[in-house]
Amino acid sequence: MANYFNTLPLREQLAELAKCRFMDMSEFADGVEALKGKKMVVIGCGAQGLNQGLNLRDSGLDVSYALRPEAIAEKRQSWKNATDNGFKVGTYEELIPTADVVLNLTPDKQHTAVVNAVMPLMKEGACLSYSHGFNIVEEGIQIRDDLTVIMVAPKCPGSEVRAEYVRGFGVPTLIAVHEDNDPKGEGLALAKAYAVGTGGHKAGVLMSSFIAEVKSDLMGEQTILCGMLQTGSILCFDKMVEEGIDAGYASKLIQYGWETITEALKYGGVTNMLDRLSNPAKIKCFDLAEELKVIMRPLYNKHQDDIINGTFSRVMMEDWANDDANLLKWRAETAETNFEKNPAGDVEISEQEYFDKGILMVAMVKAGVELAFETMTAAGIIAESAYYESLHETPLIANTIARKKLYEMNATISDTAEYGCYLYNHACVPLLGDFMKGIKSDVIGKGLELDDNGVDNARLIEVNAALRAHPVEAIGSVLRGHMADMKKIV
Amino acid sequence: MSTSIRIENLDVNFDGRFDLKEVNWTIEPNQHWVVTGTNGSGKSALAAVLAGFGDTLNGTVEGVPSRVGLVSFEAQAELIKQELKKDDADILDVISEGTPVREMIFEYCEDQLLAAELVEKFGLSPLLDRAFRKLSTGESRKMMLVRALANHPELLILDEPFDGLDSDTLVMLQNHLASIIETTPMILVLNRFDEMPDFITHVAYMEKVGNDEGRLAFQVDRSDESAYAELYQLLHLKTTDLEVPAADPANPLPKLNPNDPLVKLTDITIKYSDAVIVDEFNWTIHPGQHWQLSGPNGSGKTGVLSLITGDHPQCYVNDIFVFGYQRGNGESIWQIKQFIGYVSTALQWEYRVSISCKNVIISGFFDSIGMYTKSTDNQKMIADQWLALLGMQDRADVPFNKLSYGDQRLLLIARAMVKHPPLLILDEPCLGLDDMNRQLVLALIEKICEGNETTVLYVNHHAEDQIKGIENFMAMRKRQR
Repeated sequence: MANYFNTLPLREQLAELAKCRFMDMSEFADGVEALKGKKMVVIGCGAQGLNQGLNLRDSGLDVSYALRPEAIAEKRQSWKNATDNGFKVGTYEELIPTADVVLNLTPDKQHTAVVNAVMPLMKEGACLSYSHGFNIVEEGIQIRDDLTVIMVAPKCPGSEVRAEYVRGFGVPTLIAVHEDNDPKGEGLALAKAYAVGTGGHKAGVLMSSFIAEVKSDLMGEQTILCGMLQTGSILCFDKMVEEGIDAGYASKLIQYGWETITEALKYGGVTNMLDRLSNPAKIKCFDLAEELKVIMRPLYNKHQDDIINGTFSRVMMEDWANDDANLLKWRAETAETNFEKNPAGDVEISEQEYFDKGILMVAMVKAGVELAFETMTAAGIIAESAYYESLHETPLIANTIARKKLYEMNATISDTAEYGCYLYNHACVPLLGDFMKGIKSDVIGKGLELDDNGVDNARLIEVNAALRAHPVEAIGSVLRGHMADMKKIV
Repeated sequence: MSTSIRIENLDVNFDGRFDLKEVNWTIEPNQHWVVTGTNGSGKSALAAVLAGFGDTLNGTVEGVPSRVGLVSFEAQAELIKQELKKDDADILDVISEGTPVREMIFEYCEDQLLAAELVEKFGLSPLLDRAFRKLSTGESRKMMLVRALANHPELLILDEPFDGLDSDTLVMLQNHLASIIETTPMILVLNRFDEMPDFITHVAYMEKVGNDEGRLAFQVDRSDESAYAELYQLLHLKTTDLEVPAADPANPLPKLNPNDPLVKLTDITIKYSDAVIVDEFNWTIHPGQHWQLSGPNGSGKTGVLSLITGDHPQCYVNDIFVFGYQRGNGESIWQIKQFIGYVSTALQWEYRVSISCKNVIISGFFDSIGMYTKSTDNQKMIADQWLALLGMQDRADVPFNKLSYGDQRLLLIARAMVKHPPLLILDEPCLGLDDMNRQLVLALIEKICEGNETTVLYVNHHAEDQIKGIENFMAMRKRQR
């Protein structure tokens, strides 16, 4: 199998990367009609598989689960998930030949094996659906010509997909059709009906491409979303301890700090996040972020380049072939970091304090979001995609750190994201070595503690203008406007 | 009045017709009370006890001063009866004109100057020479007020004193009462809170028990704002002629076949890979059949309800017929939920979205937690009517999560009712509520049961929370494991 993206001419590569459009509600007027009465067979009964299946069934669709014979015979968790919820369960041989749509909701690294097992069993003209395009784009798997291939990717963890549906809402969802596999031209209709079935249409649907999804998703998760937060956690913790700050306090400031400061990001972008700081702290933070961007830009470029040209996926797949040796080793190393081993102390930290004493963390988020966005758009990814895969998802990942630190983050994200996160971390920690030597507790742990909050007017105006002028802020305010329209209808 | 009045464990009977039971009430010298409650709850009877009426069966009344001024319809009727007796007793063969008003007032009152002033103020001067029994009801009421006030009572009891007074007289009377609060403790019996003078310090709420019995249910210090607000709502619900707001005429529910049961569960089983929760359970609910479902924790009540609502995933592997749908044939849960109004403690926990009170009610049209669809003007208007019915119109735009637990529950009941669902499921609607809020919730549900559009399925295990109009009972048992 060859990397599919690399087989395309540049013209088509650019066209595919640039696909991303926020769809109008009126485009979903047909509801689930295109899937009505069709047999949907889900492969994989984890969080996405189970919860998407529950939603689809509650929308009046026919859903069952195909499991491997061992999973059924040994009554494994996936079997329990499906049967306790009253779903029909069967082997691939029993269910796949009857399926009109096969939903592949297994982890990336199982895709090739699953698809190879399923494809011969699928009936003529059926549809194969993914919620991540890695298998198609990076592994270049060839799907039978008569099959339609689509992607429906809810941009939230499986539990949220269900919880929002039950409330009568949904989660933002990305859909795509693999142009090479749309023999009957029904891919878009099926993908839209699927998005309606999971409730995604109520929260907003992005029409994208397999390529744009994969290349932007990989970039975001490796750099700002997981990598930057992991590196930032490790460096900030060690620095605070070095500066004599109580380890329990330092641990708590970081564990809950990411969540708190990115909440401000979620509501009002980078601008609002920095507006939460005092004027002198904002200027300090801005300067730190500028410095970080200069130091880290080559790393972001390298990640994007490796993703675009397929180096990243090739190296990761070598590790898959090697029984995940690197992944498991790096996972163990993460568990041994000082931040991970020191529990959060029993101290009160107010919401504002997370900003005031976490100036460096704010600077890291700013630098990471802007760099990821700039690098993606420079690589031809459209601003909408770049926004979702950088700024938009940062608070979601930060929430996982608040729950149980890096362990939880790495357990929640896909293996692919986890692998990329470690790659980034290994490069970024040494890269910031000199920078960190100049850091003191005024920007991480203690705050500026100034007697006078005065600043130079001209400098403040300059900083505020620069914050607001960044392109991630422009697209962000447009997209957040769409989302707010959907969420806050009165 | 220099000492407090203490009523302890008092049972009183009035003419064999009405009983007040177990009254415990203390009135301190510096307090002014309003006694309120529903019709027939014994408000007037409680006030009359202080004036010495009724036959004490049990308990004690102590500290009532000797000079009590009482103005009430009963006292008025009594006075008229005495006048008529005089007439009967007249042995002379002349037509008696009866006692003139002048005599009724000035031979009765100690403070002649005050009496003259009040006669003027109440506009009774032109009537002084008229016979008392020739007065209209309103006029004789005014005369009674003058008699009571001009006597400097040590305790003044006024039963609905503002009823039938023109607005000028009403203001005058209120001002006069306000001018004597330092010297005269007052007990006012009032049906309406909005007539309550500012000087009132305490409220006693009477509750009807059965047909001919009343009890003093709540005593609220007016400075306790939240308790006062709840009492206001309760009284509002109990005493207003409630009309449940109409459903949304622009979006009617699909018609159901009236011959079909609403719900038919056949040999229902709920089981997990490691346990059986409900086994071989059958239940048919016909339109208009209100049911009470009870059973201990773990007997599967909530499981059965969630099979009906479609919230339980095993509704797809059971024989369930609901609202014309045999489950598992391509219907969506929203097609099921449109016929159901649902309230439970769990729903209240889940309702943690940022939303205004008004939108909580409107969300009932969409069966959603939160609002994700544009509402119509009509739906907004209906929500306003519900808020008015709950006495919460001033809180339309207040965030739902800022409300008390009890108020949230009331709003969720309104949310469940707003579309006039064929089936209203109330899963322990009073759970976690204090006594006052429980009364509020039950009052609202009773109003709903009176209508005939909605079949009520009421789940509880508190025997005292029974609802009028429910005649079918389903008891679930805990399975032996």
